[in-house]
Amino acid sequence: MLVADNLIKSYRRHADVVRVLNGLNLTVHDGEFVSIVGASGSGKSTLLHLLGTLDAPDAGTIWFDGRRIDNLPGRERDRLRNRTFGFIFQFYHLLPELSTLDNVLMPAYVNHSILGWWRTRRVWRARAEELLHRVGLGHRLTHKPRELSGGEMQRAAVARALMSRPRVLLADEPTGNLDVNTGNDIVRLLRELNRDDGVTIVMVTHNTELAAGTDRVIRMVQGRVQEERPSLLAAV
Amino acid sequence: MYKLLLCVRYLRTRYLAFVCIVSVMLGVATLIVVNSVMSGFSTKLKERLHGILSDVIVETERSNGFDESPAEVMAKLKATEAGPSIAAMAPTVEVFALLQFNLKDRYGRPVPVTKHVRMIGIDAEQQAQVGRFAQYLHRQKGSLHPSFALTPEALDRFTRNRLAADPDAAFRIPLEGTPPGQPQPGSFLNEPNITIPASPPVVVPPPDLAAPQTPRLPGVILGYSIAHTRWKDPETGEATEYALLKPGDDVMLATVGSGGFKPVYSTFVVTDYFQSEMSEYDGSFVYVPLDELQRLRGMDGKCNSIQVKLTDDVRDNPMFVNNVIVPQLAKAFHPTEARVASWQQHQGPLLAAIDIERGILNLLLFMIVGVAGFSVLAIFTMIVSEKYRDIGILKSLGASNRGILAIFIGYGLLLGVIGCLLGTGLGLAITEYINEIEAGLTAITGQQVFDRSVYYFDRIPTNIDPMTVLLVNVGAAGIAVLFSVLPALRAARLHPVRALRFE
Repeated sequence: MLVADNLIKSYRRHADVVRVLNGLNLTVHDGEFVSIVGASGSGKSTLLHLLGTLDAPDAGTIWFDGRRIDNLPGRERDRLRNRTFGFIFQFYHLLPELSTLDNVLMPAYVNHSILGWWRTRRVWRARAEELLHRVGLGHRLTHKPRELSGGEMQRAAVARALMSRPRVLLADEPTGNLDVNTGNDIVRLLRELNRDDGVTIVMVTHNTELAAGTDRVIRMVQGRVQEERPSLLAAV
Repeated sequence: MYKLLLCVRYLRTRYLAFVCIVSVMLGVATLIVVNSVMSGFSTKLKERLHGILSDVIVETERSNGFDESPAEVMAKLKATEAGPSIAAMAPTVEVFALLQFNLKDRYGRPVPVTKHVRMIGIDAEQQAQVGRFAQYLHRQKGSLHPSFALTPEALDRFTRNRLAADPDAAFRIPLEGTPPGQPQPGSFLNEPNITIPASPPVVVPPPDLAAPQTPRLPGVILGYSIAHTRWKDPETGEATEYALLKPGDDVMLATVGSGGFKPVYSTFVVTDYFQSEMSEYDGSFVYVPLDELQRLRGMDGKCNSIQVKLTDDVRDNPMFVNNVIVPQLAKAFHPTEARVASWQQHQGPLLAAIDIERGILNLLLFMIVGVAGFSVLAIFTMIVSEKYRDIGILKSLGASNRGILAIFIGYGLLLGVIGCLLGTGLGLAITEYINEIEAGLTAITGQQVFDRSVYYFDRIPTNIDPMTVLLVNVGAAGIAVLFSVLPALRAARLHPVRALRFE
């Protein structure tokens, strides 16, 4: 479903060029829950950004459902991010001016003109409320992000990522800023989504214990996949 | 949809935005107030210029006037293609003249005062029909039948003047019916070299001051500023007005005859004042009876100018008057014989100067809005910097570069529009209550902001032109948008990953 082929990505810092991905190959299957682990600077987040078309590789290709997506024109790339991929970030990245409900509705806002939104607003609002109820934030619809706890903000971010019914969720250390219990809750939620809705999830994490709860664990070292193995849970 | 939502939310949550709004608001309000006041002054000025002149002026530079009589000249004009558009005409004679009258010094001795003036011979009734002449008269304001006749009070003053200067003069007051063309003895303190009639003066009983009789001396309507002087107390700043000449006082006017460079002069009695509130005219115009001036200059009943009033259907269309009516009327004369011009053409340089002045002032004032634009630029740059992460989030959710651009340009437009609306409200309110505001400022500071004695206006004139208000609004909103483009472009080009990582 999602294939990265010989990806190379470098960042320039002043005169130095730092190669972050060094010929990385990866395949993620439909409906899979994959975790990517590795030390800081191993290129996990960069890989996630490339897979989600937030960034473009220096070399190599990325394919989604047999279609190359690393060189898409702007409009198609934006559509892909809006409808096919959902992002979850370590620092939640909710828009501070908007309520929880509006944050969750944002992908639908982006996808609609004023008139289009006016026509379908009830449907989208119902879905956003349903998602917020599902992640346990049904009572926090009108609250601003600053009025939510870290766990609540991340659950709101998960609800937002699910708003457009994406096929792939790309989660960049979604538990990195949460305590252990809350982090477990989030991973449990992601697991449910993967299992019940069939959403493919690629999760970057430092936490090997959490990674053990996914279908497959990929270890990255110096910009390459060093080891791929099914998790214990998957083996069970 | 997200663009509108975020524009509105950013507006509600970013207090910095209010600085932009206030900048635009003040710029717009200033432009509206200044434009309205300038337009008020300009309109008033044009009204007065037009009031003094009729719609079209036909004049000859020949010293002895047109070759034909006024009736024949008017008939020629009436016979042109533009004839049906003529509503009324009035012949006039306009010449430069010297005016002399006596003031008394501190010892009561007469001191002659001489002023150069523009002497205009008119038929008062006809003149009132072609312009706003009657509206500018002091005593006969708005009269349908203005005249040079003396009021009983003025006649009383005239008689008392005579008695004071020459006790016997009372017995020699020439009465209505005295044959015209004969200068009157004793009519002026510095008696000019006027031939005294050979026949003995008509001896009449002493006048009954309660029922005075009108003297035959021709009347004169003086410009208000000629007959008055202002003195401003340097300590209090209060201006006091003194009348130098009152109705009933006599003055002497000297000019040149029509037949060559031959001085002629005569004595006239002040009957009224002319106050157009245009200092140039009020300080130089002197109206005398047309027949009197014709006689004095030996013009044989001719005139050197015809004032033409046009019918209502054409007079308010200056383009038509200038391009059609004037050329049609001009066909009646040889180019060296007469000059035909509309009142706008006649006052062309002055009107052009007003327009140029207004244009330059507008340009300078628009720089205020330009400053507001720079505040929009500075504040928007700050807001975009604050919103780096939001931009990254939006791009991760599928927002396009164009969409991000639209958010910030829309934000600029929204600030501009709100600033314009508030500025328009403020500007219109200030314009509406400008006199009350001026009075308040004068009361607070003790300094008169608008000196009425300079302009002769009782109130600061204002004229709100909807088109100007619209243009100011469009310009100000346009500048707000223009100055938001640069920060918006910066936001739109932001790399999503770099934006998300921005601390």
